[in-house]
Amino acid sequence: MMALLALTFFSCTKERFLDEPGNLVPKTVDQDPGLPSIRVNGALLHAEAFGPADSTMVVFVHGGPGRDYRYLLNGVDLANYGYRVVFYDQRGSGLSQRFPGKFYTNLGLGALDVLYQDLSAVIAHYRTSPNQKVILMGHSWGGMLATGYAGKNPQAIQGLIVGEPGGLKWKDISEYMKASRSYEILEELLNDATYLDQFITGKEDQHEILDYKMAMMASNNSITGEDNTRPGSFWRSGAVIMGALQEIGKEHQPDFSAGISSFQTPVLFFYSGKNAAYPDAWAQKISAAYPMVNLIKVNGVGHPGIVHDRNAWTTITLPAILQYLQSL
Amino acid sequence: MNKYIVLIFLPAFALMMSPAMAQNLNWAGLKENEKHLFHVHAGMEYGAEYGLGYSYRIKNKFFPLVAGIEYSAPAGNRVLDDFKSKAGGQIRWLAWRDVQFSTRIQGVFRRHENDFVRLLNFGSDMAGVLGYYRPQWFLAAEAGFDKAIVTHFKHAAAYREIYARVVDGWYEPASGGNFYYGVQAGFSYKRQDIGLKAGKILSQDFTTKPYLPFYVQLSYTVKF
Repeated sequence: MMALLALTFFSCTKERFLDEPGNLVPKTVDQDPGLPSIRVNGALLHAEAFGPADSTMVVFVHGGPGRDYRYLLNGVDLANYGYRVVFYDQRGSGLSQRFPGKFYTNLGLGALDVLYQDLSAVIAHYRTSPNQKVILMGHSWGGMLATGYAGKNPQAIQGLIVGEPGGLKWKDISEYMKASRSYEILEELLNDATYLDQFITGKEDQHEILDYKMAMMASNNSITGEDNTRPGSFWRSGAVIMGALQEIGKEHQPDFSAGISSFQTPVLFFYSGKNAAYPDAWAQKISAAYPMVNLIKVNGVGHPGIVHDRNAWTTITLPAILQYLQSL
Repeated sequence: MNKYIVLIFLPAFALMMSPAMAQNLNWAGLKENEKHLFHVHAGMEYGAEYGLGYSYRIKNKFFPLVAGIEYSAPAGNRVLDDFKSKAGGQIRWLAWRDVQFSTRIQGVFRRHENDFVRLLNFGSDMAGVLGYYRPQWFLAAEAGFDKAIVTHFKHAAAYREIYARVVDGWYEPASGGNFYYGVQAGFSYKRQDIGLKAGKILSQDFTTKPYLPFYVQLSYTVKF
């Protein structure tokens, strides 16, 4: 009876749809031509570049899968030191074009190759000469992706900076995911995530709804020290690619450290002091995959704070990156 | 303005007009003089939750029916930011020897608030229950559909910083819906029932699953 009454009353009002682009989450670059974008490798990607076009290029690779580069924008500071700084949202993430889940899952591990090809294409788009140095700065999932890219293309980049990649081998990634999400059963955070399912359900590939739900569930994480309610944390989540890559990961167990032993350039490895799932021992274990590595612990911040926290960035991360770039 | 009127009067209408209730009910264990049923429950359903309810048995010549209300809330350190209230009931349509079939229909009003948004929702919960009922115990199967019919979104400043042009207001048509199916069992002793139900939850497209794709609930009922 209550339901019938509700239907009767509300049928008189203007319909407002959850999946209408722009209602609950920002439009993507294919829906809003006003956003900065590049078309590469068959996808329209949200992307921006700062600094002199022909100087050493630092390409930021964001975390997730399914986050965006907004929280990495402190990296624009590198342009003030004369570097070319490139940001892009990976396909299916942030404000970049969306693809169906099956696009990824049908490819299996080939989906990762598509992401590597996208990265190659982004570099090629902004690179002005073959001699221009390229350095990757990957955070979290971006660190895994950047490491996988370096292992596959050791000659294609001249430097690698990573920020707290959860793991590089699937067993470690899986262990880290468990540790970073081991909420207490009676905790507000867990119930905030689960309770929402009775209000909003999204069908497969209903990106607007699924991305919105993902954003609502990810407001903070007391284990990793993430607080996405802080200004500038993100634009839009990419739920479908996140789900698809997790499915692929479970099925095919990728190893992002494959081939990294042939990358003989020193790697700069950041990890945070407030991520309880990433103690010193874990940082040492994960970083051991790199032939030459310099570990830097960024105290006082959690997982995204390595770059996102202004104070940590200006006092620890940026000076270390500048020193690293000058050493290459 | 209409919407505010609906917000106020809809639960009241539902209380007055719904034909039936929600907890595990042993039809065979209900005695003639037992009209009032008070229950408490705890379990997992879209999170760890606890709740209580009251039901009234309405006598009639045709079909036994029980009308009631219930309230539940998930665990967490913020009290009253999330809750669910239901009003409705349960009616027994068929009884053949010890096998009985009943349906349950409830109007639902629920609230959820997190760091980014406050949601108010009107929905419905309909289920069918087929089981074997004895005076001391019962075992039944249930299947139902929980629909979020209309939902009001009001976003917090934290989300407006993320997306300034987010559109607040009532969203319709339906913003969600989940099927569920499972088993329920109970033991009756004097004026008390202990019930247990458990099952699976599936999104309405049958392909996606909620974060917690199951439910389990333990209930205790006093009848007088």
